Amino acid sequence: MEPILRTRDLRKVFRRTRRRPGIAGALRALFSTEYVETVAVSNVSMEVAAGKLVGYIGPNGAGKSTTIKMLTGILVPTSGVVEAAGLVPWRRRSDNARNIGVVFGQRSQLYWDLPLRESFELLRAIYDIPSQRYRENLAEFVELLEMADFLDTPVRQLSLGQRMRGDFAAALLHDPRIIYLDEPTIGLDVVAKEAIREFILRVNQQRGTTVILTTHDLADVERLCRRIVIIDRGSLLYDGTVEQLKDAYGQTRRLIVVFSEPQPQPTIAGATLEHVERNRARFAFERAAISADRLIAAVAARYPVRDVSIEEPDLESIIRRIYLEGISPSEVLRP
Amino acid sequence: MIFARVLAPYAQFASKAFQREATYRVEVFSEIGSLVLRVYLIRALWTALYAHNPAPPNLPLHAIITYSTVALLLSLIFEVDGTRQLREKIRLGTIATDLLKPVSLPGSLFSDGVGMTLLHALTVIPSLLFALLLVHVDHPATAAAGVAFLAAFALGYGVNFLLNFCMNCVAFWTLETFALQLVVRWLSDLLSGAVIPLSFFPGLFQSALLHLPFAAVYSTPLLIYLGILRGDRIPQALLEQAAWLLVFAAIAALAWSRGRRRVVLQGG
Repeated sequence: MEPILRTRDLRKVFRRTRRRPGIAGALRALFSTEYVETVAVSNVSMEVAAGKLVGYIGPNGAGKSTTIKMLTGILVPTSGVVEAAGLVPWRRRSDNARNIGVVFGQRSQLYWDLPLRESFELLRAIYDIPSQRYRENLAEFVELLEMADFLDTPVRQLSLGQRMRGDFAAALLHDPRIIYLDEPTIGLDVVAKEAIREFILRVNQQRGTTVILTTHDLADVERLCRRIVIIDRGSLLYDGTVEQLKDAYGQTRRLIVVFSEPQPQPTIAGATLEHVERNRARFAFERAAISADRLIAAVAARYPVRDVSIEEPDLESIIRRIYLEGISPSEVLRP
Repeated sequence: MIFARVLAPYAQFASKAFQREATYRVEVFSEIGSLVLRVYLIRALWTALYAHNPAPPNLPLHAIITYSTVALLLSLIFEVDGTRQLREKIRLGTIATDLLKPVSLPGSLFSDGVGMTLLHALTVIPSLLFALLLVHVDHPATAAAGVAFLAAFALGYGVNFLLNFCMNCVAFWTLETFALQLVVRWLSDLLSGAVIPLSFFPGLFQSALLHLPFAAVYSTPLLIYLGILRGDRIPQALLEQAAWLLVFAAIAALAWSRGRRRVVLQGG
């Protein structure tokens, strides 16, 4: 099937003037300007099939938002190919806008002074949504996102959670084929986060909307995405499933042992002691080297044990390692 | 039909701007108060000036008071600047959300300005009636002059919008346009005939000023209103305004398409 999103060797270089510090620097800037170039995105190539939900992650300043902004048509790429639903977004910004919906967690697209309902009415006119479709969509979103209580409240008086729900409805009223979510759960409490995640999943599954999710909250990723793409310093580091990533990078598991009495320096063959405090110890061991049951048997044979538990590597620790240490080119996985 | 659907969002933008402005009532009412005061000051100022100086040939006292009062009313309309938001949008990066909508941002800024203007115009009417008790304002000599004045006003409105739009587009390159706008504002206050009729300027200088774009905003409609521009000089003046409108439309289109490509989003 034709991918709905496609980039090839996508690149964006920002050029900004360089300011030297102090008054002398300011004066100098009046007469000569120096430019500094920053490569925000370099050689990003990826494809997304219609109806998929893909997590696009990376540390701050990695180039995530810049990529998203090129896909949405806000930014013009320096070079490379970008296509969304068969259009080149920045050339056909207006047509592309009808195909997409965008939610920025840090920036509302609702009209600050207007009640939510009127923002929606305005969007109906902007996207020329047929009235039947508009009524159905609005009714569905009001119910799913529980917006009935604050539909007539001006946006500036809404809480963050309410505003986010409003932004989701606003991004979806015109039945976009693709939605871009840029940190949609940032700043929300756990309950609100879960409600938003459930909503995203529902939109993806029931409406078949392609979702590109950018987030720093890896719980979002684990809950929602099968496939993730990792970007750092402008380049793609990984493109594949969450499971493959865990298999490849999550080899180290942890064994937590609670002994019946304090053990100052417990040792077990096949595992390294990471931490010990009174009668509690944490060991690290490699999945490939030794199985959990043999390890537990070995501990139990040597020490009086009250309790044991195994900690599987979580996505967060894997991602942290990748951000800190990177991936060598040979390790880059392709699905 | 298609036309109506394309225009529908812009009508909505204008109506939302109207509603938004209506929520800031204090501002609207203080504007009304200041209008009455300013009309009174215009009369006092020109009466005092004319009492001690010989009146210029085609501008007797009642004409200059008419000129200044109508100029003041025009300025209430021209100074409502929907394009100012562009500078803010560029500086804060909120232009991103506008570029995500399938509508033209220049078009939406224009209709936003029209909506704001309509609200201000409505609220100005009562105080205008009150102000007219303080000063006598002439009406255009003929109905044709009145119609020509409205046409010249509409063209002036367009030129003013495009001028403001171009200046705010500078923010794509510099992020800040305040100093530039201040300078252009001073120049245009002086050179557009908004404060002093251009016929007060000496000969050659005057004819140069009359052909600058600033004159297309205030001076041309006002001179038509007073009947100083009349007969076959009216079509010529309107054509000149229309020419400036096209020139600035071309500059605005260029600035917009170039600027669009330079969008650097502030704050990630």
